[in-house]
Order: sequence, then structure tokens, then C-alpha cells
Amino acid sequence: MSKPSLIRYAILLALIALWFLVTAMEWVKPIQLPPPAGLWAAWQADGSRFLDAFALTAAEIAVAILIAWPLGIGIGAVFGSLRAVSEAASAILGSLFAVPAIILYPLFIAWVGMGPESKVLFGVIAGFFPIALNTLSGVRQVDQSYVTMARAMGASRLQVFYRVVLRLALPSVISGLRIGTALIMISVVVSEMLASFGGLGYMIAYHRTMFDTGHVYLGILMALLTVLTVNWLLSMLELHFSKWQERGAEL
Amino acid sequence: MSSEVIRVENLSKMYSTREGDFHALDKLSFAIEEGGFVSIVGPSGCGKSTLLQLLTGLLEPTSGQVLIDGIEVRKPLPEKTGVMFQDATLLPWLTAEENVAFPLSLCGKDKKESQLRARDLLKLVGLGDFINHRPAELSGGMRQRVAIARGLVRDPRILLMDEPFAALDEQTRFKMGEELLWIWQETRKTILFITHGLTEAIYLSDTVLVMGTKPGRIIEVIPVDLPRPRTFEMIGSEFFGKARNRIWTLIQEETEA
Repeated sequence: MSKPSLIRYAILLALIALWFLVTAMEWVKPIQLPPPAGLWAAWQADGSRFLDAFALTAAEIAVAILIAWPLGIGIGAVFGSLRAVSEAASAILGSLFAVPAIILYPLFIAWVGMGPESKVLFGVIAGFFPIALNTLSGVRQVDQSYVTMARAMGASRLQVFYRVVLRLALPSVISGLRIGTALIMISVVVSEMLASFGGLGYMIAYHRTMFDTGHVYLGILMALLTVLTVNWLLSMLELHFSKWQERGAEL
Repeated sequence: MSSEVIRVENLSKMYSTREGDFHALDKLSFAIEEGGFVSIVGPSGCGKSTLLQLLTGLLEPTSGQVLIDGIEVRKPLPEKTGVMFQDATLLPWLTAEENVAFPLSLCGKDKKESQLRARDLLKLVGLGDFINHRPAELSGGMRQRVAIARGLVRDPRILLMDEPFAALDEQTRFKMGEELLWIWQETRKTILFITHGLTEAIYLSDTVLVMGTKPGRIIEVIPVDLPRPRTFEMIGSEFFGKARNRIWTLIQEETEA
């Protein structure tokens, strides 16, 4: 195990120990921070409901990702390669991105109801813009000499796009995916908290009103684990594509 | 002559700009015979790169035509012409071998075969030990060697080179020139070489075409009657000096006019 990851685990262990300590000594009220046993009790009482909630939230996030990623990359790539309109498109997308999507959430509920559809829609809207914007600017910044070279080598327009331009824009696309996916996860959980019948956000909001702090923390913990897992998967993706970017030994 | 591989006839290219029409090239005509090494020199902005794009089929002429092997060029013909630019433009995520094989993968050639072909060419350009290196791990000169190998991978009869060594330092540049002459002799390609370097142009070529500017046209054809193989000492010869002075004078007159 490497030294930095050792330190990370040590910090985690220390925090858990601190949690045991402050709750056992009753330095904080159980309603603010429950003892670890409180979470355990919540898990034993309602574990299966939490697992169902987790499954729903994970599914909403997954569906939103499956829609927002291709949509954002596709639209960003198309407008990025249309030189005549890319600047205007970038400005429009940029200002739409600046609109807080949450103000539209009541409309989404009116359109598609309080079920998972409105969560997915909200997540897609939130995640789409940064993905499209980053893809657009990445595609636009591709050095045209690569395009010239590829065409001289006999690449069709589609080949130039898929095999050269999109690949060169990839670092930018991936950073868009990171921001977009984070926003999707936030939006799904937040919208569950606002108005819904299920999901981790719903569980957290519902039990907060009941003052079941153990349940609230269990929900938070599960939401955190979900986010961490998705982020880890994204890092793997990034690592896979960024190997060639690392500069080798100078010769 | 049946051995002409490149024939340029009355080639003109105009660009429309806000200030009116801009004549980039005006009625260029020349021919290059099979196996020839021809350089084009001229002042900045004389349309050298436009000419190369027309020869490659990346641009359409306003009038006149380019014939390669007797066929009019209307789009890139990678099976007939290999191209190389100042920038090696190697794809950074591919190894040297994969970069060389890239043009073959575009037309769906068998992967195993392409690999073998790419390896042979990398050996030819002296990079046999670097087949699995990525561009970031190669020096500028090595990257240009990979680009030469890539230009040769579809076994074209012609290599079009647009200031390929301009970004290299003088020593590397000279070595690359030597290397190119050797490759040229090994493969018997026809080479059209665009450059800013007068010495380089004379040293490498059979013929130097001098271009004038505004509009871009050919103002003089200078045959280089020096024996092959060329040696470093020839650069100091009387003939070499005279040819270089002549080209320099022509370019000076063009830029002053």
C-alpha cells in the first residue's frame, strides 16, 4: 500500500474513532450527531427500505447519465465542428447553463409527475450543459493541422471526426463529464428531497421531519457512498484515456 | 513524356476577401518526372502552401489543373501521394507503429499486415527500436521520421513535403536531409519539397523552382547539376554558391517589388 493511501485510511479511522468518542461522551446532542449504534439501529429497523431507496436513486442517476452523456457529447460535438455557429452556440449554451435548473423543477413535476421521471429530467437538464459546453470547446480547439493531415491521408469526414477530432477533444470531454455527472447526482438527490415518493433524498428528508437522526445519517452515508463510487468509476475512465498524455522521458 | 508523374497546368487559385479578390497563384505550370527531387522556394506568402494543398487535393483550383499519373486531382489520393507537413501531427495516443499504420487503418487494411508494413518502414527511417514509443517520448527529429514513414505507408509514388524540417535545429535538419536523400534513393519516390532554406533546397534537389509573390507564380527554374551522392563539401563549391546567390537575388527582387 502506498504512503498517501495509508495516510488517508489513518485519517478515516481517526474520524470514526472521534465519532465514537464525541457521541459516547455526549459532547454533542444525539439529534445533531447520533452514536454509531444509532445508524446500526436504523439499518436494522429499515435496512431493506433504504436498499430500495438506494436502488431507485442509483437507477435514476444511471438513466440520467445514459441520456445526458450522449446528448451533451453529441450536441457539443456537432456545434463545435460547425465553425460558423460554434461561437454563438457556445454563448447560448453558456447562458442557459447559468440558469439555476432548480427554478424549473416545479414545471418538471407538472409535466411528468412526482415519480422518477421528473428526477431523471432534472438530472439530465443539469448534467447536459457542462458536458455540451466542454465538448464544444474541446472540439473547437482541436489543432486544424490534424484535420488537414487526416484528410490528406484519405480519411472521410466521419473518420476525421471520430478517429481524430473527438479523440483529441477527449480531455475536455472528460472534464465535462466529471462536472456534468456530479451535477446529475446532486440534482437527483435534491429533487428527491423536494418532492417525491422514494429514493435516498426522500428518505433523508422524510426522516428529518420525524427527527430520526440515525435514519437521516444512514441516508447521507449511502448517498455519499453512491457519489464516491461513481466518482471512482469516472477516475478510472479518465486514467484509461489519459495515459498517452503523460510526457515520457525527454530524449 | 510518359514518365511525368506530376503535371501542373495553368494552375490558378483566387480567394475572395473583403478587400476584393486575392490572387494566391497565377497560371502555374510545371512537370516533375518520375523519381525526381524538386524543391520549391520563394518569399513568404508566395502561395507555396496553397500550391501544396492543391497538389494534395485538399483545395480546388480556381482554374487550371493538377494531374497525378495523368489523373486530375479533385480530392486527396493517398494511394498516389504521401504528404508531410512542418508539424509531424502524430496522434498522441498512438505508438509510432500505430501512427505509421494509421492511413492503412483508414481504408480498412488487415491489421497484422499493416503492423508488419509499419515496422519495416520504421526500420527504414532508423526507428526500429522505437516502434512502441508514443510521440511524447520521441524527439522532434524522430517524430518527423515517423511522419516520413507514415507518408510512405501506402506506397505512393509521390511524397509531397511542406517545410518538413523547418521546426528542427540546424544539425538535426541537415541529418534529416541526408536521411531523406537515402530514403529517396532506396524507394525511388518522386519528391516535391517546399522549403524556406536555400541551401537545403539546392543540396537536396535535381531542380529548384523559384516562386515570386503577388501573385504567386514560378519565376525561374534552376537545375542543380551536382553529382549524386551529394556531399557536405559541395555546399562550398562555386556552382553551389552561384545557384544560392541567384535564388537569393530573385527572392530579394520579389520582396522589394
